[in-house]
Amino acid sequence: MLNLLFFKGKFCTWCGRPFRYGAFCHNCLEKLDYSKQQLKPCKYCGRFLPLNSSDICSQCQVELPVFHKARAVGAYRGILKEMIWELKYKGRRSLVKPLGQLLANITIKALRTERPHIIVPVPLTKFRLRARTFNQSELLALALGKELGISVGNDILIRTKETIPQAGLSRQQRWRNLAGAFRVKEPSKIRGSHLLLVDDVLTTGATASVCTHFLLGSGAVKITVVTLATGIEKSNYSL
Amino acid sequence: MNKVKGYPQSFFCWMGYVYLVYGKNSGHLGISHKPGLDFTFWVRQGYKNFKLLTPALPIGTAAFFRDLFLKSNLDREGNNKQLINKIMTIGRRLLGLTSWEPTKGALVEPLMPPPIDEIELIKEIMEGRIFWREELIQSMIENKIKVRTPLEDILHWLHLKGDILLFPGVGYDANGKPCCKRCGQSTKLIKVKCAACQSEDFVCEECLNMGQSRLCRPLYARQKSEKIAKRDYEVKCNPKLEFDLSLAQKDAYDKAKDFVAKGKAKECLLWAVCGAGKTEVAYGAITTVLERGGKVLYTCPRREVIRELYLRLRSVWPQLSIKAVYGGSTDKYSQADLILATTHQTLRFYRMFDLVILDEVDAFPLAGNPMLYHVVERARHQSGQVLWLTATPPTNLIERVNRRELEVIYLPARHHGYPLPEPKIITDPFLKWFGNKRVLKFLIKCIEVTLKQRVQILVFVSSVMEVKKLVKLLANCNLIQPSWVRGCYANCSRREEIINSFRKGEFPILVTTTVLERGVTIPRLNVLVLYADDERVFDNNTLVQIAGRVGRASTYPQGNVWFIGQRVTHSMASACKQIKNFNQLAYKRGYLLK
Ligand SMILES: [Zn+2]
Ligand SMILES: [Zn+2]
Ligand SMILES: [Zn+2]
Ligand SMILES: [Zn+2]
Repeated sequence: MLNLLFFKGKFCTWCGRPFRYGAFCHNCLEKLDYSKQQLKPCKYCGRFLPLNSSDICSQCQVELPVFHKARAVGAYRGILKEMIWELKYKGRRSLVKPLGQLLANITIKALRTERPHIIVPVPLTKFRLRARTFNQSELLALALGKELGISVGNDILIRTKETIPQAGLSRQQRWRNLAGAFRVKEPSKIRGSHLLLVDDVLTTGATASVCTHFLLGSGAVKITVVTLATGIEKSNYSL
Repeated sequence: MNKVKGYPQSFFCWMGYVYLVYGKNSGHLGISHKPGLDFTFWVRQGYKNFKLLTPALPIGTAAFFRDLFLKSNLDREGNNKQLINKIMTIGRRLLGLTSWEPTKGALVEPLMPPPIDEIELIKEIMEGRIFWREELIQSMIENKIKVRTPLEDILHWLHLKGDILLFPGVGYDANGKPCCKRCGQSTKLIKVKCAACQSEDFVCEECLNMGQSRLCRPLYARQKSEKIAKRDYEVKCNPKLEFDLSLAQKDAYDKAKDFVAKGKAKECLLWAVCGAGKTEVAYGAITTVLERGGKVLYTCPRREVIRELYLRLRSVWPQLSIKAVYGGSTDKYSQADLILATTHQTLRFYRMFDLVILDEVDAFPLAGNPMLYHVVERARHQSGQVLWLTATPPTNLIERVNRRELEVIYLPARHHGYPLPEPKIITDPFLKWFGNKRVLKFLIKCIEVTLKQRVQILVFVSSVMEVKKLVKLLANCNLIQPSWVRGCYANCSRREEIINSFRKGEFPILVTTTVLERGVTIPRLNVLVLYADDERVFDNNTLVQIAGRVGRASTYPQGNVWFIGQRVTHSMASACKQIKNFNQLAYKRGYLLK
């Protein structure tokens, strides 16, 4: 009761309830956590797996991803999915900072003492950027950069080609779809460095893989991917 | 190029100039994204010299500088270079902008105006509306209208002619403080960079659910024109009532009709008791406006109300064009004589309605939301009237009634002619929080009375936590069957199912939070408010609404209302007094059966 009367803290960006510290209020954080309950990330691609399965997802068992590893704040469902939708399609910018904090937490957890040199957002084409007026990955990268004190290279990777939605395409078609979609502007900037690639959602990993491919090809030595959300692999035997 | 899903067109970022044009006797300051159009327009008006004063700026900034120049004593030829520079410096300092390149005397070439038929089409479709260019496109699609000229050019030409207002989504006041011109708020502006036009931008999150309002985005508005549509309104407008009005309703009906017919007062409050049938009482007022050829808006914060009302009113006025607009409704942009809209959706109307009826003004989320008051006020035509309908007016309205600034019509009795059940207050200074035996004792007593009367009971508590605790407590007390009690709250996953089951009478006791204070009507019902002295949750209006759940049906007009608490709060006392006063007034006026 007294707490309520003398409350001088902030209000949760998502639900509007008052809270003291952190990214969102306790209630919302709990809900965010709930999205990955009983799940653990695949050692490599970060996709969520049931607790009782092996440490590596079926896809990574067939072929390891080109990036070092990928991690996500949570699974793409529930409150996290709603938040991403609000950010991506409605442009609710006030979510950027708290989501950036969550990204920072997951980055530190994934890399421990290892410190990436530059943060690189997954870019949009110029045309798409005009239509949308913002790139949510770039906004997230900037917020993450602020949290971690790492510079953001938002002009390093450039998207040159619009790609068709990936859903329903085979693995090969996906690669063909994405081939030549990106370009590295100043390879000298990233030569020999460890990059942190930021996107909102990791679905098939194809976009992240192609970006990685281009970045490694231009002299980067290691790419770590962080996203807000990723998929869940229901069972190891489903494929 | 592949079609990009979800983004049918790019946002229109308005980048343009402040200009000065002057002729023999006068000068004019304007803003334009294509000064060539303005040049043509003003030359036709006999103006001669045309001069750009600024480089290309986002519309919010351009409008700010235009206003700044307007306020200064810029001589009409604009030859005073020093003054122009001084004003620019002042303006830039106010907005915190770095200096910009001096404007080169760029040659402005005259441009052809848009074709007249296209201008007229857009003029008509903009009537009474306030739109982004993108919303206008949507409206044109729904109304099956096509033009070949760029829309922003047609709109700008109409702006030059004085038919359309042009202003920024987010603009600055005279001191350089940004404010959203769409929702009128400045509390949730966020500084961003627009990736489309590269300008430093503001976006408003207060009205974000209705699209992004930004510094670089133009709003176009046109008020409803005065021309009166003459149609066979008399045939159309007579309302078909589902039942005869009660005496109390009839009196209020006539008074509301009078308020509109006389048209002297701008606003009027219709203060009805819960369940008195206040909507029917407004039919006369609506009819009067429609017969004159006017437009009516009926707005309410809750979507369910709008949907239900739409079905009802369609049978009341079968020949009238009626439309319901709410989040998720399909045709938001077509025309109608009577528009029912959730309060949020009134954001897209501009000086359109001759009568605005505001139902449940005090209901969440309208209460305490200045944005919604702002947009409702803007939807009213300058000569239009507002009728507030509510059982629990917000304090500012009551104060205005007391100061005799606001006309009031009372509707103090229900249709069935029985008085409102008056609350019984039970206090016990030792009543502590859960786990106490005393709490259970009082509850069980009330529940026993309820079960004996063979009715159902709604128990209101102040939080979700308490709902859960109380359900557990009652289910385990061994005095009633555990299956007789269930709980329900706002985000509860089986809310609909539980409410429906309670409606069907499948169990007698429902514990809930204030989410059920409105809307749910159960014919045979008692209510109980536990810890009614928690004033943070149970204020005067909430208690009146809760008490108003009881005794609504003519088959069971009685019922019990209990307020249980440690002490009697001001809210509890005033809620009881308000209900008593209404009963007395109804009795005095002879509205009651006995
Ligand atoms: Zn929250
Ligand atoms: Zn994997
Ligand atoms: Zn706004
Ligand atoms: Zn812009």
